[in-house]
Amino acid sequence: MRKRVVITGMGAISPLGHSVEQLYRNQIEGRSGVGPISIFDASTMPTKFAGEVKGFELGRWVKDPARWRDSGSNSRFAAAAAQQALEDAGLIGNTSVDRTRFGVYLGSGEGIQDFPNMISMIAKSYQQDKNAVNAVSFTSEGMKRFHAGREFEQELHTTPGHLADYFDLEGPNYNCLTACAASSQAIGEASEMIRQGDADLMLSGGAHSMIHPFGVTGFVRLTALSTLNEAPEKASRPFDLNRDGFVLGEGAGVLVLEELEHAKKRGATIHAEVTGYGSTADAFRITDSHEEGRGAIACIAGAMADSGLKPEDIGYINAHGTSTQVNDFVETLAIKKVFGERAYQIPVSSSKSMLGHLIAAAGAVELITCVLAIRYGVLPPTINYETPDPECDLDYVPNTAREKRVDHVLSNSFGFGGQNVSLIVSRY
Amino acid sequence: MVTPIGIGVTPFWDSLHHGRGGIRAIRAFDVSNLPTRIAGEVEGFDAKKFVDKKDRKSLRVMSRPIQLAVAAAQLALDDANVNKESLDPTRFGCEFGAGLLPTEPEELGPASLVSTNCAPGQVDMKAWGDKGLEAVPPLWMLKYLPNMLACHVSILHNAQGPNNSITESDAAGLLALGEAARILRRNQADFFLVGGGDSKINPISLTRHCLFGLMSRHNDDPERACRPFDRRRDGWVIGEGAGVLTVEDLEHAKRRGAAIYAEVVGFGAAFDKARKGDGIVRAIKSAMTQANIGASDLDHVNAHGLSTVDADIWEAAGLRGYFGDRKVPVLAVKSYLGSVGAASGIIELAASILALKHGVVPRSLNFEEPDPAGPVSVLCEPKRVEKPYFLKISFTDMGQCAAVVCRRWE
Repeated sequence: MRKRVVITGMGAISPLGHSVEQLYRNQIEGRSGVGPISIFDASTMPTKFAGEVKGFELGRWVKDPARWRDSGSNSRFAAAAAQQALEDAGLIGNTSVDRTRFGVYLGSGEGIQDFPNMISMIAKSYQQDKNAVNAVSFTSEGMKRFHAGREFEQELHTTPGHLADYFDLEGPNYNCLTACAASSQAIGEASEMIRQGDADLMLSGGAHSMIHPFGVTGFVRLTALSTLNEAPEKASRPFDLNRDGFVLGEGAGVLVLEELEHAKKRGATIHAEVTGYGSTADAFRITDSHEEGRGAIACIAGAMADSGLKPEDIGYINAHGTSTQVNDFVETLAIKKVFGERAYQIPVSSSKSMLGHLIAAAGAVELITCVLAIRYGVLPPTINYETPDPECDLDYVPNTAREKRVDHVLSNSFGFGGQNVSLIVSRY
Repeated sequence: MVTPIGIGVTPFWDSLHHGRGGIRAIRAFDVSNLPTRIAGEVEGFDAKKFVDKKDRKSLRVMSRPIQLAVAAAQLALDDANVNKESLDPTRFGCEFGAGLLPTEPEELGPASLVSTNCAPGQVDMKAWGDKGLEAVPPLWMLKYLPNMLACHVSILHNAQGPNNSITESDAAGLLALGEAARILRRNQADFFLVGGGDSKINPISLTRHCLFGLMSRHNDDPERACRPFDRRRDGWVIGEGAGVLTVEDLEHAKRRGAAIYAEVVGFGAAFDKARKGDGIVRAIKSAMTQANIGASDLDHVNAHGLSTVDADIWEAAGLRGYFGDRKVPVLAVKSYLGSVGAASGIIELAASILALKHGVVPRSLNFEEPDPAGPVSVLCEPKRVEKPYFLKISFTDMGQCAAVVCRRWE
């Protein structure tokens, strides 16, 4: 029989604060973490706002912040969230657990590219008539100007590598990057590793920031971002008729996943159980999700089948809910398809209305939100919900939190390019 | 296989069999100002040949690593003789190893010109937002997202099952294979394309890796530059390419009458904190335990063999930690084509799979004198396959280790 997986620790750095408690309180109060971009001068960008992590100091969380001196914010956020999660689980410096059976599986984003040097180097070496760069000029400038340490820290395996090294996690070590589904997929696959007996414990989740000139440029050109510059905190409005795109956020969510008997034996506090995981691909287009929600439906149905639960068991759905026209429509469709008439009785809300979209880190922070909903019996709202969309007609927990005991919660994450992941967590 | 020593299984094997390496002076662009000017390039690669006419438009939004992976996926499906119509799309998955995909700098040329006066490190952000932005190609970002290897492959072949992109540097390929095997075992898919694609032979990546300072500078003698475990090695060599395997549930393969190359019988992963081989030993132990075999059952070890001073000593310690004094023959495929990063594990694994099939293990190139600091019994001559199992190892500079054991199919 497969082993059971429980959550015994959680940590979060997000636009709504630097801890799980702040994330919870601010979501329940329906606060927005979105504001003008301060990380760089975005004043002439079509989108000038995002959900930034404010006032973050890594030194508050780890003893040796210098190790992350050259790292991007993804690795720095991950380190702080990991410290919180391990502390919460009673696993900092805990020598009674076998560290070789304790792995890492992150869905973490890339480090941050050196925009000023890159752009000025390209400009200097670009030959307009040939539409080519002069490679000799570009590479010799690069050898002078790129900072080796910061360049290395952009590599995608550095974030989980630092965590394993710093926190003595010597088991299997993975990082996946499936766009907006990454940290959910990491948690799903990490859970499967425990279920199968490949590890007793996995530190899992994700970290990301795309609030930098390249990231904003990329999403602006794809016309994916909201442009409601006059009221940034109202820009992320999932399921609302007047939604006009998503809002970038940043941060990290990290969880300690543990084999049930292992957790019981060491007397760990069990926050919830991971009971369902589904993963599919749209195999449709790189830019849009499948219009009829083919992949999303199969993914939610897959997670339900994996959990063995019935539609009426699901008490709350934390939606992917990006606030783009297509996603919110397709996700609504998919929920109705899987849950039938029952869909109208299930509260569905989007944390992204308050946090913005944490891209690779979104799923992990949202899964933590689901665990908190089970623990406290309060569902976070979808804020900025003003004008109902006739095509999105579910109960989106509009604008104010709701008290409700829930035992089983579904969390959806759908990635750019078509990867879909659904997770189910249950009261233990 | 899309590699510096051949495109397609037959040319790839032919080069290995005849001991022909593919490391040369870089021709892709002018590298005269860089300290390292050699690499294993895939020459004469034309992505159009591997994509149906109706889908060729999508090649424009694929950077080179994606194109290499898409081509290798098509070659793998052809080699496996798969009738795609007969596969259940919802049980057809993709697992790819991928690295950072750097922008092709000229794509940002026009935008950069209007946003800077070319002073070092100076960009006028207001000008970038005002005028630069609209000069960036609309789909620019999508061309460089690491998940796009697996996404494009899934779209081209209607693979609607689990789809993941593992971004663990040189260990990515084997970790992807391990995950695909787990998913098959838990019966959430029947059929997988497992692979990796990588190319660092472009101005940005090559500059970055020159800065890291671990690459060989044997520019005058490229063919002899990559010398895993040899005493005179001086660094690693970049290779580019892609390798894709079709990996499927045994019963599924039998039902469709597939010609089976090998069985994946063991997988292990670990983190090597001290970088002294302890993690490598644990990854090997897990894989060997899962395979339920002992050291004496192995025909050979297909090593990571990076050819840097430190990594080879580290690996030698790992091998010694597991095998002790037993001299297991070691093949180091990077001596032929350099390190293809996220694709290296799969490409190198394929060399041993083909060795099982042909009954002969190729020799490693450029191994002349053992390193007393890390002695390893590297194969200097081809050898007959004598036992049905081989072990493949990959690990990263940070310590992520993976090991796979395969068995000849009989």
